[in-house]
Amino acid sequence: MRRYKTSYPISWRFMDVLEAAFALVLPRGGGRLTPYLLLTPAVLLVGTLAVGLLYIGDSSLRVLDRSTFLFSDYWTLENYQRAFSESFTATIIWRSLAGAVIVTAVTLLLAFPYAYVMVRTSSALLRKFLLVALFLPFFIGQVVRAYGWLIILGNQGIVNDALALVGVEPLRLLFNYPAVLFGLVQYMLPFGVLMLAPALTAIPEDIEAAATSLGANWVRALFHVVLPMARPGLIGAGVVVLTLSLTDFAMPAILGGGSQDFVANAIYDQFFRTSDQGFGASLTLILIAVGSMTVGLVFAVFGAGTLALGANRK
Amino acid sequence: MTEIQAAAVSAINVEMTFGTFKAVKDASFELQNGKFLTILGPSGSGKTTLLRLIAGFLTPSSGEILINGRSVRAVAANKRSIGMVFQKLALFPHMTAAENVAFPLKMRRFDARTIPDRVAQYLKLVRLDGFENRRIHELSGGQQQRVAIARALVFEPDLLLLDEPLAALDRKLREEMQLEFRRIQKELGVTTINVTHDQREALVVSDQVIVMNDGEIQQNAAPTQMYRMPSNPFVANFIGVTNDLSGILTRVTSADATARFGNVELMGVHGGAVALEDGTPIKGAIRAEQIRIASAEQSMAGLDADFRGTVLDAIFEGERHVYEVEVPELGGETLKIIHHDRNDQSALEPGALVHIGWKNRDLQIFPAKQ
Repeated sequence: MRRYKTSYPISWRFMDVLEAAFALVLPRGGGRLTPYLLLTPAVLLVGTLAVGLLYIGDSSLRVLDRSTFLFSDYWTLENYQRAFSESFTATIIWRSLAGAVIVTAVTLLLAFPYAYVMVRTSSALLRKFLLVALFLPFFIGQVVRAYGWLIILGNQGIVNDALALVGVEPLRLLFNYPAVLFGLVQYMLPFGVLMLAPALTAIPEDIEAAATSLGANWVRALFHVVLPMARPGLIGAGVVVLTLSLTDFAMPAILGGGSQDFVANAIYDQFFRTSDQGFGASLTLILIAVGSMTVGLVFAVFGAGTLALGANRK
Repeated sequence: MTEIQAAAVSAINVEMTFGTFKAVKDASFELQNGKFLTILGPSGSGKTTLLRLIAGFLTPSSGEILINGRSVRAVAANKRSIGMVFQKLALFPHMTAAENVAFPLKMRRFDARTIPDRVAQYLKLVRLDGFENRRIHELSGGQQQRVAIARALVFEPDLLLLDEPLAALDRKLREEMQLEFRRIQKELGVTTINVTHDQREALVVSDQVIVMNDGEIQQNAAPTQMYRMPSNPFVANFIGVTNDLSGILTRVTSADATARFGNVELMGVHGGAVALEDGTPIKGAIRAEQIRIASAEQSMAGLDADFRGTVLDAIFEGERHVYEVEVPELGGETLKIIHHDRNDQSALEPGALVHIGWKNRDLQIFPAKQ
């Protein structure tokens, strides 16, 4: 006979406390309002961001008077005119956007096999190893990791020391575009894998066996069956990596060394170096617009429905 | 060898080991072309492993599997001419019913011009014409089964494998699909291997049944023979409702055997082909429906064994009654009895005094251990 636990689990006591607290606040219960009440904290949080955005919008319409260092008390589109007329803006937007696209493509390419092996391996040991290897960088943080790459890739870094041993002249591995992209891919890989893994788990194992028994070799099974079925995960991972890369600050700042600024770095400079809050705010809104349009484009091409949201999907 | 036609499938001493666990032990059998074989066994008996070895998803640790007389050891799963229906169907959800059925034709590079006709022909065979453009999740469970069957058969494989595809269905649909499998198999004449733990299904659909337990083949026979002449107590118990009696063998002849159960000596037939010796412990097996039962006042003619007993439990199952009867003469054993009552009279109530009996030929005597 199976023995049942007679003690009252701690998690149940916790729920009792929650219930009592809820009853104290709303003695007659929330009724039909309960779900909306529970939604309130999240709505407030997002709402604060929206209010912040309004302030940014306001700032972006006020131009800095360089003689008095005061902002105009009238609204003008001058900041936007400046942003669209200077080639500098186009350069950083193009650099950010192209970088984000390349980083997304490379990250998905690397994350897919990683996630696939992690999900499908029959070895529990290998799965644990892959998971730990994935999470370790999270504990380190982006900035520290970027400094780590400085040590490894610097002129007197480990790589160049090793190259010197075989007689190769020191290479300039840092402060260029590839270095920034390399750092970003390395930073984004865990996000990609973690977004892909549930989508791959949702594909039954027999699917590949079925494709094989129907005559498909592994390449065809991958392209005709596994990849199409993993589409929601690929799009989800892609959108996350794309937006995070597009708006990244630390990697271009540290591994680009000032020569490879992304939009976020330019915004930082405007806010904290030149103190031109108005121009910074207009750049911010342009970045938000570019990001939103890119994500909108992804959804328009692939369909937001593929994100596996919604109830009628099976 | 002077064989006229090689068996469609033969397994020769096939063994499969995972680490230290032997999933399949020394399995040998043959299946003739066009026949329907069911591998029957409880979960963990190795039946699915055996099926996956034939499909090519696994390679035997030792032994050979021949398909049409040729070893398939070096043939990859996607190069074998085998259609398989999976337990969870494994249909492709991003394709329509027709695209699912067309998939193997595209993968096997059939002439593109013939594909639509062929897909239509097989959807018709499984009675799904008109459902071509439905997505998989827009189909009912039974319709999904039919798509899976059409997909497995459309490229005219030499062999069809069924990995318990009916296990998840409710009973009515399952029985309907069993007959559907049988009809399609007969119509196309495709050699089929079905894996199941449902003994009824095995008896209904098969030409040949293999019972497996603990990785070993227990018996390989036609369904009627499997039912009437189980080769050991495991098979006797796994197929049908069987009463086990423990006893000691007292006399054995070439034709029959006598054993002592409780206070009485009973005669029965040898179960299986194993030699028996006097004085060894044996198991007697008698099927629940082969025991006759009547109230104490009624008489039963033509029986070899006849005992008094008390009804402990009576269950009404519609077309039959199931009784549990305690029999003091057999050392207080409780026997399960299935009684089909055609022109009934009232059912027996718990507590009723009854007499029960059977014919000697219905009692099978097996060695207690093999």
